[in-house]
Amino acid sequence: MKKKRLIALTLTSLMVAGIFTGCGSKGATVEKNEDLKLTIYCGLMEDHMVKAVDEFSKETGVKAEAVRMSSGEILGRIRAEKENPKASVWFGGPADAFVQAKEDGLLENYVSDNAKDVSDKYKDKDGAWTGIYIGYLGFASNKKLLDEKGIEAPKSWEDLLKPEFKGQVSIANPGSSGTAYTVLSTIVQLKGEEEGLKYMKNLNTNIKSYEKSGTAPARLAGQGEVMVGISYLHDGIKYREEGMKDLVLTAPSEGTGYEIGATAVLKNGPDQKAAKMFVDFCLSKKGQELGQTVGSYQFLTNKTAKAPALSDEIKDTKLIDYDLEWAGKNRTILVEKWNKAIK
Amino acid sequence: MTINKRRMKNQHKIDDMKKIWKDPVLVTTILFLIVTLAIFILYPLYSVLKVSFINEGNFSLKAYVQILKDIDFRQTLGNTLLLGVTVGILSTVIGFLFAYADAYIKSHFKKLFKVVSILPIISPPFVLALSAIMLFGQFGLITRQLLGINNANIYGFKGIVMVQTMTFFPVAYLLLIGLLKKIDPALEEAARSMGASRWVTFKTVTLPLLLPGIANAFLLTFIEVVADFSNPMVIGGNFSTLATKIYMQAIGNYDMAGGAAIAVVLLSLSILLFALEKFWIEKKSYVTVTGKASRERDVITEKHIVWPIDIACLLITIFVLSFYVLVPIGGIFKVMGVDYTLTLAHFKYVFNLGLEPLKDTTLLSIYATPITGILGMIIAFLIVRKRFVGRSFIEFTSLLAMAVPGTVLGLGYISAYNTKPLLLTGTGLIIVIAFIVRSLPVGVRSGVAALQQIDPAIEEAAQDLGANSTKVFVSVTLPLIKTAFFSGLVYTFVRSMTAVSAVIFLITPKYKLLTASILSQVDNGRFGVASAFSTVLILIVYVAIAIMYFGLNKMGVSKSDDNIL
Repeated sequence: MKKKRLIALTLTSLMVAGIFTGCGSKGATVEKNEDLKLTIYCGLMEDHMVKAVDEFSKETGVKAEAVRMSSGEILGRIRAEKENPKASVWFGGPADAFVQAKEDGLLENYVSDNAKDVSDKYKDKDGAWTGIYIGYLGFASNKKLLDEKGIEAPKSWEDLLKPEFKGQVSIANPGSSGTAYTVLSTIVQLKGEEEGLKYMKNLNTNIKSYEKSGTAPARLAGQGEVMVGISYLHDGIKYREEGMKDLVLTAPSEGTGYEIGATAVLKNGPDQKAAKMFVDFCLSKKGQELGQTVGSYQFLTNKTAKAPALSDEIKDTKLIDYDLEWAGKNRTILVEKWNKAIK
Repeated sequence: MTINKRRMKNQHKIDDMKKIWKDPVLVTTILFLIVTLAIFILYPLYSVLKVSFINEGNFSLKAYVQILKDIDFRQTLGNTLLLGVTVGILSTVIGFLFAYADAYIKSHFKKLFKVVSILPIISPPFVLALSAIMLFGQFGLITRQLLGINNANIYGFKGIVMVQTMTFFPVAYLLLIGLLKKIDPALEEAARSMGASRWVTFKTVTLPLLLPGIANAFLLTFIEVVADFSNPMVIGGNFSTLATKIYMQAIGNYDMAGGAAIAVVLLSLSILLFALEKFWIEKKSYVTVTGKASRERDVITEKHIVWPIDIACLLITIFVLSFYVLVPIGGIFKVMGVDYTLTLAHFKYVFNLGLEPLKDTTLLSIYATPITGILGMIIAFLIVRKRFVGRSFIEFTSLLAMAVPGTVLGLGYISAYNTKPLLLTGTGLIIVIAFIVRSLPVGVRSGVAALQQIDPAIEEAAQDLGANSTKVFVSVTLPLIKTAFFSGLVYTFVRSMTAVSAVIFLITPKYKLLTASILSQVDNGRFGVASAFSTVLILIVYVAIAIMYFGLNKMGVSKSDDNIL
């Protein structure tokens, strides 16, 4: 009787143990490999990511692998993996998420040699993250719809309040989208908190829907779901190139905010050496100019790199002196105030 | 008296336990199941709870205070309940209509109805939402091109209700068809021969018999609706639900604790409904356990009954089919609604960049399939045939996964398995486990349903002849319930191929999943590529099902009522 119980117990523990050793051995074989490897979490478009990773591997011989996620997913992931990081590089995505990650101690400071070509405005002072591209906020409008109603594309933030646009403007929800939060914080930085929130409240009557992701408004305008989408202009260009031919792009005359797309080495990531090589590559002229070959039309941070020809039409957009740090610190409060203001 | 009874009952229990102790394989299996279920279902849920209560390392209610203060949250909760009730009712009504047409009526399009009620189950969840936008959006085929409406708005409540009803009415259909087929026709014939009209018979006999089943169908769809993540994500617009809000709070807002707190709210809601379904309604439903009807039913042939129902079902069928026809079509035009140039670019994209996720998804699903199938049957066998301590634990936990929204489970998995000794994040194993846990409830359910119709005497006979539990299970029970077993296999494969919400947190560079690729294409507005991906996915699933059925036919297993597909 006792013997049987003993058998039962051993069998159980063996079966349970079997599950875990199964995966443990897998991890071990990876570590033994002498070749340089690299795992990347990427917040860019998929084809941009694949291109960059391929070119990097070709140039350096490092076996790199990447997975695409939204920037929030990446942040959530590296937070959860803090004890045992799986990736060593975070490639692409808005700098505000990187600012947050730096605060949580998730990033490794690394000042690449190539960072000397990047203006101080576009990189972290400690080297926790470095900007790789810049995107301007603006309006993507549907020309066909505008012509039908005989309206001109908006040229300023004020224009958006015109009654003709009632229910025809799309923006993402600042609570879920970094893009939309940049809009909110741009408005508040331009007009001051009280006036800014009042503006958002007035704008609310013209908004058709608050989308979940930041690229959606430009897409909706391209598909003709709304007349005007507030998005990054390079997304508008991308959609137009992909066939949404009715899109016209304008930028607000009062000045607009921008995003910095960044890259960073993750603290305690398994492949620090390869990770630094990758950051060097992203900041190089060659690495930066890859995006435009696969449909990403942001401006570049490396002064020697050539901006995509297609973004010429928006290069004179007036920018505000966007305060990234302020925006990051006030995010929760500002979104809450905005939520109350539009109700 | 009662004390005596109780003592006797206890004595029985002890006897049962003693019997089980004598069988080491059985004990091992039971212990293994209890430990495994606790580790892979309860522990992740506990982790979610923990995350929601911890702020900067200390116990805190801050996350809850925060979400309760949030106006948006209260509205979202209201939205979710409203959606659950609306879609629950609509799905149950439509599901019932289809089930009735299938079981009671000499319908002209039976085969077609069957296909339509199964399609939504085997297709990736957001496909319908995509098609809805292409059909009814501001630039939609129907709204703009056909009806000339310039400012149609499909985003929001209307859109979600439409898409979710199509997605979930099959759940109600499958449940109700099972019940309808098991109602003994003799009951209704008795009423008819006493002069009751069809309507009176329906109202006083059929409907009351079905009432628990209908309530059950409503609750199950309700649970699925509130847990659904992808449809509201794609077509929700302003209208947010708890499932999307979890994702947006945890991911969009970088606030894990807040997301976890909302997850706990959603989880409580689902478990409450699940418990209601399990302990209250299921007990009332006798029809399921009386076994098969004594003989075939004479189907209704009266034209004034057949045609209206047929036409109603046919209209719904055409409506649903038009959504699916659009999927491959969306993949061959440059941009649906804007530029109708034919192009192969989207499919090329899939074959250039999408092969890896395709391979990974298929492979991981194939791993999960047999494990889930066997595990499901073993659990069903134990629940129905054995009496032991921990039996209700096994039953409840293995079915619980059905009530746990995928987003919550995913969140739990990533927070539970990231430290030693359970360091699983980043492996393919964790994805396989998530697949298994998600599909297990259906396997268990169909196994239980099948076993309840089989007289235990057959198994007892084997036992009396000296076979131990393993022998009985393998050589008697399993052959008897193989239909349920194989349909469990098919279901697991399909569910795994199309899973989104639970695995969105678990993908890694090594294991990319098809559905995540599709969702990120949708997110980036590349509906063409998303359509091409979906087409390929649906094809794989179809081929897999065809192969399995071919195999089944070869092995002499016929499709029967126990079959869920």
